[in-house]
Amino acid sequence: MHIVACIKQVPDTAQVKIDPETKTLIRTGVESICNPYDLVAVEAAVQLAEKYSGKVTVITMGPPQAESALRDCLALGAQQAILLSDRAFAGADTLATSYTLAQAINKINDADPVSLVLCGKQAIDGDTAQVGPGIATRLGYNQFTYVAEVIGLDPASNTITVRREIEGGSEVIEGKLPAVLTAELNLAAPRYASLPELVRSLRQEIKVWGARDVAALPEQVGLKGSPTMVREIFVPPARGGGQVFDTNEDKGNAVAGFLDTFFGKEQRLLEELLAKDGHAQE
Amino acid sequence: MKETFDVAIVGAGPAGISAACILAEAGIKTIVFERGEYPGAKNLSGAVLYGHNLAQVLPDYIERGCPVERNIVESRIWYLSKDGGYSIGYRDRIFAGERKFNAVTVGRAKFDRWFAEQARKKGALVVPATVVVDLLRNERGWVAGVVTGRADGEVQAKVTLFADGINSPLARKTGFRAEPKPEQVSLAVKECIELPAEVIDQRFNVGREEGVTAEILGEITEGMDGIAVLYTNRSSLSLAIGANLADFRDHKKKPYELIEQLKQHPMLAPLIAGGKSLEYIAHWLPEGGYDAIPKLYGDGYLIAGDSALLFNALHREGNNLAMASGKMAAEAIIEALKRDDCSRRGLAGYGDRLADSFVLKDMKKYRRFGKFRYEHKELYGPLPHLAGEAAREMLTVNGVSKKQKQKLIMQHLRQGKFGLLRLARLAWQGWRSVK
Amino acid sequence: MPKNSRGREIAEVIPDKCIGCQLCLAACPVDAIVMDKGVAKIDPEKCTGCGKCVDVCPVNSILFEKVRKKKKPVVAAGPVPVSEYGGVAVFIEIHQDKGAEVAWELVGKARELAEKLGTPVLGFLFGSNVEPVAREAIAYGCDTVYVMDNPLLQTYLPKVYGKALAEMCQQVKPEILLLGATPLGRDLASVVATVLGTGLTADCTGLDIDAQERLLLMTRPTFGGNIMATILCRNYRPQMSTVRPRVMRLPKKDLSRQGEIKPVAFVPPQDELPRIIEFIPRAAEIGGVDITRAPVLVVVGKGACNPQHMPMFEELAHLMGGAVACSRPVVESGLLPYVRQVGQTGRTVAPKIYIGVGVSGAVQHLVGMQGSEKIIAINTDRNAPMVQIADYALIGDYLKIVPELIKGFEARATGVKGAGA
Repeated sequence: MHIVACIKQVPDTAQVKIDPETKTLIRTGVESICNPYDLVAVEAAVQLAEKYSGKVTVITMGPPQAESALRDCLALGAQQAILLSDRAFAGADTLATSYTLAQAINKINDADPVSLVLCGKQAIDGDTAQVGPGIATRLGYNQFTYVAEVIGLDPASNTITVRREIEGGSEVIEGKLPAVLTAELNLAAPRYASLPELVRSLRQEIKVWGARDVAALPEQVGLKGSPTMVREIFVPPARGGGQVFDTNEDKGNAVAGFLDTFFGKEQRLLEELLAKDGHAQE
Repeated sequence: MKETFDVAIVGAGPAGISAACILAEAGIKTIVFERGEYPGAKNLSGAVLYGHNLAQVLPDYIERGCPVERNIVESRIWYLSKDGGYSIGYRDRIFAGERKFNAVTVGRAKFDRWFAEQARKKGALVVPATVVVDLLRNERGWVAGVVTGRADGEVQAKVTLFADGINSPLARKTGFRAEPKPEQVSLAVKECIELPAEVIDQRFNVGREEGVTAEILGEITEGMDGIAVLYTNRSSLSLAIGANLADFRDHKKKPYELIEQLKQHPMLAPLIAGGKSLEYIAHWLPEGGYDAIPKLYGDGYLIAGDSALLFNALHREGNNLAMASGKMAAEAIIEALKRDDCSRRGLAGYGDRLADSFVLKDMKKYRRFGKFRYEHKELYGPLPHLAGEAAREMLTVNGVSKKQKQKLIMQHLRQGKFGLLRLARLAWQGWRSVK
Repeated sequence: MPKNSRGREIAEVIPDKCIGCQLCLAACPVDAIVMDKGVAKIDPEKCTGCGKCVDVCPVNSILFEKVRKKKKPVVAAGPVPVSEYGGVAVFIEIHQDKGAEVAWELVGKARELAEKLGTPVLGFLFGSNVEPVAREAIAYGCDTVYVMDNPLLQTYLPKVYGKALAEMCQQVKPEILLLGATPLGRDLASVVATVLGTGLTADCTGLDIDAQERLLLMTRPTFGGNIMATILCRNYRPQMSTVRPRVMRLPKKDLSRQGEIKPVAFVPPQDELPRIIEFIPRAAEIGGVDITRAPVLVVVGKGACNPQHMPMFEELAHLMGGAVACSRPVVESGLLPYVRQVGQTGRTVAPKIYIGVGVSGAVQHLVGMQGSEKIIAINTDRNAPMVQIADYALIGDYLKIVPELIKGFEARATGVKGAGA
């Protein structure tokens, strides 16, 4: 069984801080990491491959530096890594990205047919959750998003059964392969690679494919293939400027002062709130 | 792990990578372990490197895109009292011309990563995010490789090179070298202050990509044996101040207080004004000098760089001794492997090389310097204070005659128990400790 | 059709026909073909059944009958004549047989956008026996509700719904299509945008119209919520956007509103479809608390992570008709379960009143609560990020402040209009 995992290198948003004076983003020293949801997807792919004697190919679209994210995935036990890197790919939105990845999966499929594609449920920088379903739609594969558990996989009948997280609970669903799965954090716990695996990942050659290698049409990739465009980027207006009531400073009652102000200024809000719930002391 | 290596190196800093470059170039199967996510990880600090030492390891370091921040064209020394200070500096056109890259500043995060990449290109295997937790020993008790914190993490190697820095948990655990005593290390804190490149050019009066270093002594360490340094990077300044760990302990001073005070000093404040502090780190420096150097090699192992406590306390060149010692360790290993003798005797070429080189010669020359400084705390308190008073007196225009002023200064000196005789003795002792 | 031991359908050479040209050898991506006695021979174990050899054989000597699974990948059609599109459409998500609240919130927003554009509000509704929902959609503000009513649409499957909604868009041609950013909405929106080859902007917090260019301005947080981006889709239609629940205001329901309900034919897809085996309701929503729906949240942070004080927080929350939630360290300490966690790795909440007790306000937490209407911070540290963004900040020891709040709130609440005594 051949599984393809699609990953993305992202800035580590956990390291992002806001400059308290200028209210702008401090990017200095922010490292690029492999999107955490994607690491889960790769780990899940490797576990499935181990169970069903298959293999895992990891792909990503990005600049040459994205190679390091691919190596992290090789260390988790993926057999092969391919970097889709081409100037023509730059500026892609989710639509152009899913096109490029789907083209690559088509090519991989030609050499060694693909049964499953795994993606993280979303990337932590953009949080769009669009690329996984986009790939499934383009390839005509079944699509199972927000997968928390692979319950069963039967290579003989070519079916997979998963549990997905949806509004209000989770559903167990069964469908035919090939399929695209997008991973929730609890689908698998990425392993701490053993030394031999880590060494292998460091030595392995990573293939680089450009637009021509995946037979991508120029008008479908990168900026050209992206219907959306960014008009403006701005730092959200600081909420702040709020009123401060300091119980340490004030000899009088700061809490009472707050309540008076709050009940005075937020009349509408309180009416909505209290009317909806009957009354407060219920 | 089944695969074996000729050499295992612990630490991918300047010492470890210098060795890895030389070894890999010679076709020796080398594995380097780095505990950080990548070499230089989370190390935003700057450092001064000497082109000569770098060229010994990588002759074509410029062509290979070495991430130089600024080429140093001027060195300054400041001697500061609380409110003022003396400054001397030397600038020479030769450092911008034929001796360009005599000394350069680099950012350690970028440099270490680049340096490790060169070793990798030469064929060394650099394994990041992996901690060496123990040593393998053979039946004769020789070091026979390392144990990492990963599954299946034992690696056999004919020779192991320790280049894991001064603060080595591995040394603590395995005792391959003694722990340094508090008076043998200094504790330094370093801040990286961001400023636009043009502002740095202006404030230090240098051209684009040219830089200045300043070594700063005096009352700034509040009577503790210590020093501060200021380096210009491309668009940041590295400011560090350190003092003997035993002094910190005895004087109950906090390192970050020292650096905050230093930043307020009138000599420094205008240079860093408007800068944004990017990072603050603390680290140890080996200050024990020649007499603190541990046994540098044994059966199956060698020690290089800070881990070997190699540091020239007068010229602040830890990174450069690290690179030089790493290179010499590699050369000794190559010899030993050729003779198929990795015993203490087989690796003795390392000791000979170090003894013959500037590394140990300089450290030997300055062996009493550390003791001199440590025992003459007046260098960091009363003396710079009085020196400041003297200059202030001389330069203040207030109608007092110069002759009268000289008298007053001598009075001050005597009151501060710095008779001319004592000053002369201090100078003589200082000279003797470094001659 | 022969298969190899791995069950893969493979190609076969008809030796009599083969002229030994070797074109197929070059075409085979897995080197499964060798020359044997002047004719091509396929190694069944190596063959992957890709069929490439069939394409190149000049004499049709390769037998390969497998229905080529290789569908043409969906490819965007290119720019569309924008002026042919009109109407602001809302996908009416159904949740437990009722219209999901987020759909009504979007209808409210669509009304506002449609008025700026001078165009009607359209509801797109899918399901089985959903006429009551269609009527409700009109009551909330839809002018026309297009309905595909079919038992197959009873449950959500991406292939079925994707096809249905894409076809609806191709027929009705709305200029804007809004969906709730629920798991279903995000899943479906991606499929439809891909099929239609149009732009989709996820999780918008602001929607507006550029009247001059007649464009939808879609504003969303990015980079972990630290930056806002305004995105537009100039040459493709519909302009698609998803919006999280409780970001837009719920409009007033007006049962007297008039509107039209138009049935649209549904053509089921031919594919073999996945089968839903069971639905497991989330435990917290059976009898517990869903922090994403509480109008008031008392959020416990690391600075107030003390089991002895929990009853006090519960009392405050209950008094205001809300629930207790927490930041990540509190979950890690084991005091509260994961379902109560607010933030990037927890749940996104947007209550009317957010009260943070001892919550410092790490970026990851702020991302999950920035949509709150009013933020009250209780903290000892004046400089904590949470205090900086709060509308009201109470500085001091929460052990003193919270009991006073409870007392004071009780006393004042009875005076508020609409609060039954």
